[in-house]
Amino acid sequence: MKIISTLWNTLKRPPVHISLGVIIIVSFIAGVIFWGGFNTAMEVTNTEKFCVSCHEMEDNVYQELQETVHWSNRSGVRAICSDCHVPHEWTAKIARKMQASKEVWGAIFGTINTPEKFEGKRLELAQHEWARFDANGSQECRNCHDYDSMDWELMSDKARRFMKPAAERDQSCLNCHKGIAHHLPEEMNKGGNPLLADLLNDATSVSANKDTPYYSAESVDLYRDAELTELVGHLTIATEVAVLETQGGSVKLEIPGWRKEKGFGRVFYEDFGQNITNAVLDKDAAQDESLVATRERKEDDLTGLPWAKVTAELWAKKGAYLKGRDALWDTASEIYHDGCSVCHSEPDPEHFDANTWPAMFSGMVGFTNMDGPTQSLVLKYLQKHSSDYVDDGQNVDDGQAAER
Amino acid sequence: MADTNSRQETGSSKLREWMAFLFVIAVVVPVLSVAVVGGYGFIVWMLQVFVLGPPGHGG
Repeated sequence: MKIISTLWNTLKRPPVHISLGVIIIVSFIAGVIFWGGFNTAMEVTNTEKFCVSCHEMEDNVYQELQETVHWSNRSGVRAICSDCHVPHEWTAKIARKMQASKEVWGAIFGTINTPEKFEGKRLELAQHEWARFDANGSQECRNCHDYDSMDWELMSDKARRFMKPAAERDQSCLNCHKGIAHHLPEEMNKGGNPLLADLLNDATSVSANKDTPYYSAESVDLYRDAELTELVGHLTIATEVAVLETQGGSVKLEIPGWRKEKGFGRVFYEDFGQNITNAVLDKDAAQDESLVATRERKEDDLTGLPWAKVTAELWAKKGAYLKGRDALWDTASEIYHDGCSVCHSEPDPEHFDANTWPAMFSGMVGFTNMDGPTQSLVLKYLQKHSSDYVDDGQNVDDGQAAER
Repeated sequence: MADTNSRQETGSSKLREWMAFLFVIAVVVPVLSVAVVGGYGFIVWMLQVFVLGPPGHGG
């Protein structure tokens, strides 16, 4: 305390012994040294050597980079970590440097210090970077690659066919080029859509309550027993279920639906008369009255087919259920827009009815790169937002609109 | 007697002045500068997390 007050007393008076000239010169030199030191520190923390000084980076992403064109290529230009991962604009750069405090935290507490832990986090980490690239239109790629400097004549036909429309729309590079410098997350190597994998991240823990609806965040295998040994069918994505019981890693689901009382009744639909698939069971399970209970019977005047309202009680794994369908519909709507608008403006979902969409959709989906699970989500989104479910521009998403 | 005393006092106040000057220049100002820049970066980061979203095109 005394030192501080002595210091303050010295500082608040004009200097008696040090000349103004000395103060100016010494301050100037100190300023130069500080400025230089600050910039050097900024540069040092931007070097590849600094990045790979953590074994988390050295052993994983740095090794993967070395297999790619950004490491070695015919023109001998290469990208180092910070070229892609640190914003070049000053404010964003400082913010990113502060953000690295989280990486220091991770290094100290070993958040990703084994290959297994790293793989476990890879999707999440990748999604952070993808979100950033998405927001800035892949600015860090475009510090080097520029649509305006691309010579279409020198491109292969295949490349040009994709790059030219992308350039016209000023598309973000990472929309297509994910995984160009590092391995893709495992979820994607299985052919999965990262947007769908993202949905699964939000899957919540469930509580067994007959009145709480949950919605499947992916297609889920259905089993006869709690040990999940006897496979009897699958639940499609975005299907409403209730959880009756939990046991270890399994949950007993109540799956409501309507099915046609012709054939084996293997397919459960979401509503009476609407071909919106909820679940598909194998023949024996579909006919097994201990698994499937019939609640109500009704004939569809339009087709003359008898329908039955049913519920099935089957076991499935935990961790694939959401509390609402908004996230599913948002994702589906985004994929629908992105996939279709490459060639034409997409029709509004309510332009067709729920039973017209499957044929419309399967006629067009071959022109897109949607994989199977993505297709089923998008189709269900379209059907649930079709003219059957839209009332005065208001979407009625409770299954009541289908009473035709 | 009084002369030595004042010379001693002059000597120690000169030392104090230099110590204070160098301390401020070498420690206080650099630490404050780093804290201000770091704090600015931290605020921007938090804004990005909660308000702005990831840094976008020119902003």
